[in-house]
Amino acid sequence: MNVFANGQSVDLMTVLNNKEWRSHYQESLKIQYPTAIIISIKLNIPGPIKSSPLLKDSYHRGLRDIKHDLKQFETVHEQLFIERITGPEGFLVVLGDLKAVKLATISFEEKSIIGRLFDIDIMTEKDDQQLSRRRLGYPARTCLICDKDAKICIKQGAHTLESGYDAINKICTIYMKKQITIPKQSQNQLVQAAMTGLLYEVSLNPKPGLVDPVSNGAHSDMTVFTFIDSSLALQQYFNQAYALAHDFSGDDLTVMFETLRQLGVHAEAEMFEATHDVNTHKGAIFSLGILISAIAYGTRVSGVTVDDLQKIITKMTAGLVQRDFKKLYEKKQKLTAGERQYQQYQLPGIRGEAAAGFPMVMDTALPFLLKSVGTTSQRLLDTLMKIAGSIVDTNLIKRAGSPDILKELNQWSTMYFSLGGSQTAAGITYLEKLDTEFVQRHLSIGGTADNLISTIFLARLVGGI
Amino acid sequence: MEIKKTAIAGTLESSDVQIMLTQGTDGIVFDLVSDVAKQFDDAIKQTINQVLSEYGIQNVIVKVVDKGALDMVIKARTVAVVQRALDTVGEPKWEVL
Repeated sequence: MNVFANGQSVDLMTVLNNKEWRSHYQESLKIQYPTAIIISIKLNIPGPIKSSPLLKDSYHRGLRDIKHDLKQFETVHEQLFIERITGPEGFLVVLGDLKAVKLATISFEEKSIIGRLFDIDIMTEKDDQQLSRRRLGYPARTCLICDKDAKICIKQGAHTLESGYDAINKICTIYMKKQITIPKQSQNQLVQAAMTGLLYEVSLNPKPGLVDPVSNGAHSDMTVFTFIDSSLALQQYFNQAYALAHDFSGDDLTVMFETLRQLGVHAEAEMFEATHDVNTHKGAIFSLGILISAIAYGTRVSGVTVDDLQKIITKMTAGLVQRDFKKLYEKKQKLTAGERQYQQYQLPGIRGEAAAGFPMVMDTALPFLLKSVGTTSQRLLDTLMKIAGSIVDTNLIKRAGSPDILKELNQWSTMYFSLGGSQTAAGITYLEKLDTEFVQRHLSIGGTADNLISTIFLARLVGGI
Repeated sequence: MEIKKTAIAGTLESSDVQIMLTQGTDGIVFDLVSDVAKQFDDAIKQTINQVLSEYGIQNVIVKVVDKGALDMVIKARTVAVVQRALDTVGEPKWEVL
């Protein structure tokens, strides 16, 4: 997530002039409301880009929290969104105890994750100084990057702008994940959502190199029917994954995960039987199994946020990469594609994704799909290509024989979106052209497809598709 | 050069600096309050002194309230306050910035 995308740069004088404008505005409010408390709200964003669609969105989300935290105070003036080239800002005038108001805003700045990006100043007519944190005995605000006094880091130029942007993007991503809640699910709903993921993915077309109802892509050994058979064969496994987590009573989630893996081994056998020894859904067995178990576990009492879901998954898969790959050198049987790639390129692949809580799905693809517009097909094609733009697709690497292919994949994704994506004829024609090229070069993006399946599954659970 | 009138530039916003110039007779006299550690006091004075000398101002009382401003902000605010004090707002000396 890049909150600075499509942002507008401003120069120093514009920022400084805006500070004077704000200061005059505050003075005029003080005169207008001499007995009230003036609250001046803005974002605290380093660098030349102070406003962008996502920064404005973050501002609006934060405002909701601020209004909630200040609801005990009577509002006499409200102008919460003023669009300035130097970033969104607003003013709120309330009646009440000055100190209590400041404490409420400090609590927002500290407790809400997005509060870290806000700068809220409090002032009254009788006081010629703003009521600072320091006057209330609170520590100065800390740096977004290193937690030292922010002002000192700024003065010393302690960090690069790049690291500041990274920190802000991270804050916004976590905040957004806390806003998406997966409601408590019945076993049936969860299994159906998983089936939806599998069947929507295979039905989607045109997909480069992948099997769909129109083309078998770069796969000579399977058709859309193979995938339908495979999907149906996994239904039982999904039910087992749910039951396992729903009834799990221990504290150590890695134990639950190990049991899940045993179920997964059986599910693979079922899949191979249904497909006559073709690998259709090995990646999906791994990812969907983990997701179903984690959600079943996390929603035993009530809903779970995407952020908390990730925490459950990282607990389940703690140490997975190290444990699995440590055994590689002792392994007698033929190595799997994932194991070979770890040996050759040190790529942790799907295990690494799981151990990190599936960031590709949760941080990138799911928010993208939820925000996308158009028909189901258009939204899913765009999401597929969005994933393709930043994934380390180990299935593609295997087919291409080198990780260098990832650069090409990234360029294809960029090109697709620059043509307008699924909403334009040019975008669709480009996908068809890519499919032809994939077939000729015997390439496929199975990893990307697996991620799309997980994304559809989660979007279905939150009512986003 | 002598300043013609008391002038003020900048705000008390965080990351800004407010500078007020008043007529003085005893060289450049600082009255500095900073939100940030003392270690930056000399750097702030040096930046302001540099701008004042560019304009040839020798006698002035400089009241500074620093809210953690960057060096370039201090410079820009000093240029603004000097121009206001000299009544030359319309003719900025951009080479100073």
